[in-house]
Amino acid sequence: MEKLSFAEIDNTVNATLEPPGRMYWTVVALLFCGVLVGAACWGWQILVGIGAGGQNSPVNWGTYLINFVFWVGIAHSGTLISAILYLLRAGWRNPIARAAETMTVFAVCTAGLFPFIHLGRVWMVYYMLPVPNQRTLWPNFQSPLMFDVVAISTYFIVSVLFWYTGMLPDFAVIRDRAAGVRKKIFTVLSLGWTARYEQWRHYSRGYLLFAALATPLVISVHSVVSWDFALGVAPGWHTTIFAPYFVAGAIHSGLAMVLTLMIPMRRIFNAQRIITMHVLESVAKTIVFTGLIVGFAYGTEYFIAWYSRNSVEMEVFALRSTGDFALQYWIMVVCNSLVPLLFFIRRIRTSIIWLFAISILVNIGMWFERFVIIISSVARDFLPHAWGDYAPTGIEYGIMLGSFCLFFFLFFLFVKHLPSISMTEMKELQHQAGTHD
Amino acid sequence: MDRRTFLKLAGMGSLTFASACTLESEKKLYSLVKNQDDMVSGKANWYAATCRRCPAGCGVLAKNREGRVIKLEGNPLHPVNRGKLCIRGQSGLQAVYHPDRLKRPRIKQDGRWQALSFEEAIARLAEKTRSAAARGKNRVRMLTCLEGDVCMGLFEKSMAALNGTGPLVFEPFSHEHLRSANQAVFGVSGLPSYRLENADCLVSLGADFLETWLSPLEYARRFKAMHAYADGKKGLFFHVSPWRGLTGANADAWLSCRPGAEAVICLGLIRQVLARKGPSGISAQAARQIRAVSEPYTREKVIELSGIDQSGYDQMADALLLAKDPLILGAGALGRGRGDLQANIAANLLNFVLDPQLGKIDFTRRHRAEKAAGHGEIAAFFDQLTGNPPDVLLLNNVNPVYALPPEMETSGILANQQMFTVCFSNFMDETAQCADMVFPVSMALESWDEYGAYPDLLSFCQPAMKPLYGAPQIGDVFLRIAPDGAVENKDAKQELISRVQERWGISDTGAWLQAVRAGGRFDHKDASAGASGPAVMPAFQSWFEDPPALIRSESLLFAALPSVRFFDGRDAHIPWLCEIPDPVTKVAWQSPVLMHPETARKYGVRTGDVINLMNRSGSVSAPVYETQNIRPGLAGLQAGQGHAGPGRYSGGRGANPFSLFSLQRTADTETAFYAADTLRLEKSGSRQKLASTAGSMDPHGRKIALTVALSDLTRPPGPEKQGLAMHDFPLTLPMPEGYDAHRDFYPPHGHADYRWAMAVDLDRCIGCSACAAACYAENNLAVVGKQEVINGREMSWMHIEHYQQMDRPDQPIFLPMLCQHCDNAPCESVCPVFAPHHNKEGLNNQIYNRCIGTRFCAQNCPYKVRRFNWHDWNWPQPLNLQLNPDVTVRSKGVMEKCSFCVQRIKAAHGNAKDENRMIRDGEVSPACVQTCPTGALVFGSLMDPNSRVSKLVSDRRAYQVMGYLNTKPAVIYLKKVVHEI
Repeated sequence: MEKLSFAEIDNTVNATLEPPGRMYWTVVALLFCGVLVGAACWGWQILVGIGAGGQNSPVNWGTYLINFVFWVGIAHSGTLISAILYLLRAGWRNPIARAAETMTVFAVCTAGLFPFIHLGRVWMVYYMLPVPNQRTLWPNFQSPLMFDVVAISTYFIVSVLFWYTGMLPDFAVIRDRAAGVRKKIFTVLSLGWTARYEQWRHYSRGYLLFAALATPLVISVHSVVSWDFALGVAPGWHTTIFAPYFVAGAIHSGLAMVLTLMIPMRRIFNAQRIITMHVLESVAKTIVFTGLIVGFAYGTEYFIAWYSRNSVEMEVFALRSTGDFALQYWIMVVCNSLVPLLFFIRRIRTSIIWLFAISILVNIGMWFERFVIIISSVARDFLPHAWGDYAPTGIEYGIMLGSFCLFFFLFFLFVKHLPSISMTEMKELQHQAGTHD
Repeated sequence: MDRRTFLKLAGMGSLTFASACTLESEKKLYSLVKNQDDMVSGKANWYAATCRRCPAGCGVLAKNREGRVIKLEGNPLHPVNRGKLCIRGQSGLQAVYHPDRLKRPRIKQDGRWQALSFEEAIARLAEKTRSAAARGKNRVRMLTCLEGDVCMGLFEKSMAALNGTGPLVFEPFSHEHLRSANQAVFGVSGLPSYRLENADCLVSLGADFLETWLSPLEYARRFKAMHAYADGKKGLFFHVSPWRGLTGANADAWLSCRPGAEAVICLGLIRQVLARKGPSGISAQAARQIRAVSEPYTREKVIELSGIDQSGYDQMADALLLAKDPLILGAGALGRGRGDLQANIAANLLNFVLDPQLGKIDFTRRHRAEKAAGHGEIAAFFDQLTGNPPDVLLLNNVNPVYALPPEMETSGILANQQMFTVCFSNFMDETAQCADMVFPVSMALESWDEYGAYPDLLSFCQPAMKPLYGAPQIGDVFLRIAPDGAVENKDAKQELISRVQERWGISDTGAWLQAVRAGGRFDHKDASAGASGPAVMPAFQSWFEDPPALIRSESLLFAALPSVRFFDGRDAHIPWLCEIPDPVTKVAWQSPVLMHPETARKYGVRTGDVINLMNRSGSVSAPVYETQNIRPGLAGLQAGQGHAGPGRYSGGRGANPFSLFSLQRTADTETAFYAADTLRLEKSGSRQKLASTAGSMDPHGRKIALTVALSDLTRPPGPEKQGLAMHDFPLTLPMPEGYDAHRDFYPPHGHADYRWAMAVDLDRCIGCSACAAACYAENNLAVVGKQEVINGREMSWMHIEHYQQMDRPDQPIFLPMLCQHCDNAPCESVCPVFAPHHNKEGLNNQIYNRCIGTRFCAQNCPYKVRRFNWHDWNWPQPLNLQLNPDVTVRSKGVMEKCSFCVQRIKAAHGNAKDENRMIRDGEVSPACVQTCPTGALVFGSLMDPNSRVSKLVSDRRAYQVMGYLNTKPAVIYLKKVVHEI
């Protein structure tokens, strides 16, 4: 890889923190308006009831849980890149680890909102907290939703700590170059980092520990999310494949989101020398891998449905690909398992346009995967008399818009105010590269 | 100021501030300091009364809580309904509390309505009628719905005093063709009772005895007495009609025929019977006459003329010949021209040929509906109103503007300025809008009255509650407007007492009180009854001189279909009846045009396309509903909806089939027919989503609504294969003995004393949906409206699912579906806050206050019986007065579902504890079980080995819906028994 001096790295990253222009604030303001739209829609829904959305009987869960799973999925590859690849010493992760980890934190924040939005009586949500209370009621830990509460909050805490720990040396670099209020803020944020040997020793141990802690979470959290479905009895849900299938899908979507975020970012911040084509190509290769797993899972579902000889299972899957939700199903199959195969072609996986386009398609496909899973099974479950359809309403689209705006709003604030590329890890990379010369 | 004072002031100040600013309104419950004698807060009083929603006149018990009637149940002593009520009877209560109910009389002045007080209205009315009476004879005329003898007597006396003739009884479903047919064949112009229970083979030529025909609830019970599986036997029922409604859906075979061809088929059957059995027991002359009319109808000719399925026809003929006790019922009450009369005559002849003694037709127990005027008389009445308008026209609870063919221009006649039209109606229906004065009178539940459907039946109406708006009852109004001295008694109750004393010999107060408590006198045998039986054979041949009118054109024909929900249209404004879907189409709120898919294809329309149907008489606009339940070439529309006017539940909803009828007069002025001309179909170009609650009626081979052939049941049971797959999973009781270590993850539940369960006999279920209505009334279920039903958000805890039979997809089957109270409930384990809770008596309770609305339970319920409160539903005042105070009204964001009427179980617990005993079997009946007209639902405890439900559970036919999921449902179904025809 290209040789960069430590100063060049520092300069490039610090340049991203220059006071932003009017364009930036316009975009941020627009995104904030989007957040307000979502908030207003939610407020309306609280006022009139969940009926503001399109859910019904039998499709009691709609876009709120689709978006919940979607955003939790997005969160996962952040941790995959920052923690698992760290443990595996995959050097190409270093330039994008920070952004990916940030994506994780914000995606978990966004995802975490949806269970609240979804609740019929959100003002009673504290009933789910396992705290002694005068109601003498304890939550039901048999419920996969309680697993979720525990899993998501654990994941959020670990991700935030991991993210913050990783940024400490970088905060110190910024502190050293900053002046005025900014200096004061970063002085506090850097927690007195002086880059002494002791501190580096503790830091690297701590970072490794968090990476080790976060790694099983990547697997466990999305497995737990999958159990929201797999522990139910609905045909198409009640299957043991769900945990690995969901984890693979989560990483698939997260990697795509990393590409979606990194490609504009390296262009805007002129970070082509740091986030190199090699890095993007590596992500693309991983997407091929996860895409194949996901495609294999789609096939397995059909095989198991056929193998079970259970007519309910067989019909649910038959109706998935041919019934009322066939369009969504085929969007899912094409975008998630077929389109990524294009990355086998070197010219495509090294073309920025193709990378970006396919990453968007995979994101869309993964959203529809959740749609297909969550909607189509219960819409055609055991008693045909109860079968029904589902279409999201304006309120749901508003909340969905709000969630995307919230994510990008936070991410936009992040890239101009915090080091979006890890200087420390880039330097490590340079250092390692140097020694191998 | 020192520190202590400051603290005191600050403390007081902030306390005052905090206490003054509460958002909560005062929510206090006040109880009466001084109660009425018979009113105990929290305890219901039951008053026996009579349901007046249709001429059947079933006995009801009105449950009064704190002064308001909150629920109607059948009177178990009453011979018509024996403790049961139909969907309309259950829902009738909402008419009392209807938000559109008029509070005050109103008078039209210069085209605008002005409110009057009751006193003013009576004064005006008295002035008008008396001055009209003074002007000569017949200056006051009256049209009334069917009323009891006492009320009719009062009308007659008042009308006589007002120099007029007695009132004419107008009922849209007058059954006059049945009456005329009886006159023509048996010489009795009346409506007998049919002893369906004694028949072993029943043929209906369209008589919809489960929907609107004569006395639907009574006939439902009698029908199931012959048609429910018992002792290895089950009667046969053939339904011959161009369409299949609820009655047809309950037939063993629906034989579709051309409209108007029922008589042809029946004559063909007569010919076969005469040919094979000979005219035994019939006079030679009668035999000759019958032979003369039936001779032309050979088997081939019948099949050619009627379009009936050949093998079906042969099977029916064979079954009739083999049967020991065959019975033929004629056509329904909804007009299809002279074909109806011919069918009724032919049915009478066939009954006569098969059983000259007419053992199953009871002319001693004649139905009061026979007093209704025929179409000819009604037409003559309106002709007179046009030719010689009286000064005052009184209309009691009738809606001729809606129910008469448009060509009679009823609204124009009523709008005549010369005539002062008074409408005694509680609602601004079409007729009331044309009137000059609308006078709301108290309803049956608020009045003293009497209505017995049969001559030997005394059935009281008594005020089960104070009149909601203080309206007087119509008898009192007539006593006030009639000239003094016309009637000896000063109020309607006195009149009732003296008439009852006279006629029924109830002389002392004790006997009177006893009768009122019981709801009437049900053991009375009238000496005068039994006189007129079938006697002679007058000429019926004239009706067959021209062959039965068969329109064999290629154009679209119209069929008005009876509706179990709306009757003749008087119930279309009742929210529950709109909300509960029709059991056959499963469409709520709307009245779609039923069309065979072939017909729809021919006209290039499909389900949901809004079409205009037009003929000479009028036009209707409604969405198409494609169904196999109607013959190709027909467009069917259920009667009842399509009301003009401001009704918030009925106004502008659906379409009115009466508006396509025209009046066909005959040479004989007595007889007239309503019939619809051929239709022109026009596509409107718009589409409308149907408010259907059925996703799919195809059971997809799943273990849902099962049937068993009668012949299989007569064989001893063979060894059954048991496994874990859908169809071989064993019946697993929701009891500790249902635990199997290989299948179960969680340990078994123990139960304390009771394990509540329900047995549903699909063989007895006729799909009438009375259970659903009872559930709405008992459990404060919300009415969500058309749009939310389209959105899939109806709140029914109990509903009827309509499936095709698995072995015979052309035959329907009804499945009552409610919470299965599973022992291994999928809903319970997934709730994070324990809102679904399994109690120690096996009930799956839903704790509303705990629910936070994750809706996971509903997702995980394989039976999809959980209902979520998508919004705060509203009960427009005063409908809220009907709410059951023993059941929580649920707010938005909360899940709810069937509780097995836990409030009733709790009440039974209280009673049993008071008497220091266990709850007896049959002591607790959920609302649905209580009202089921055919006894298809049985409730009880499985812990009691002698309970009826325990016995039914061990029946050979018992199974659990989707039992292989190992949910161990406590609702056990018994397979429907089918004949292999």
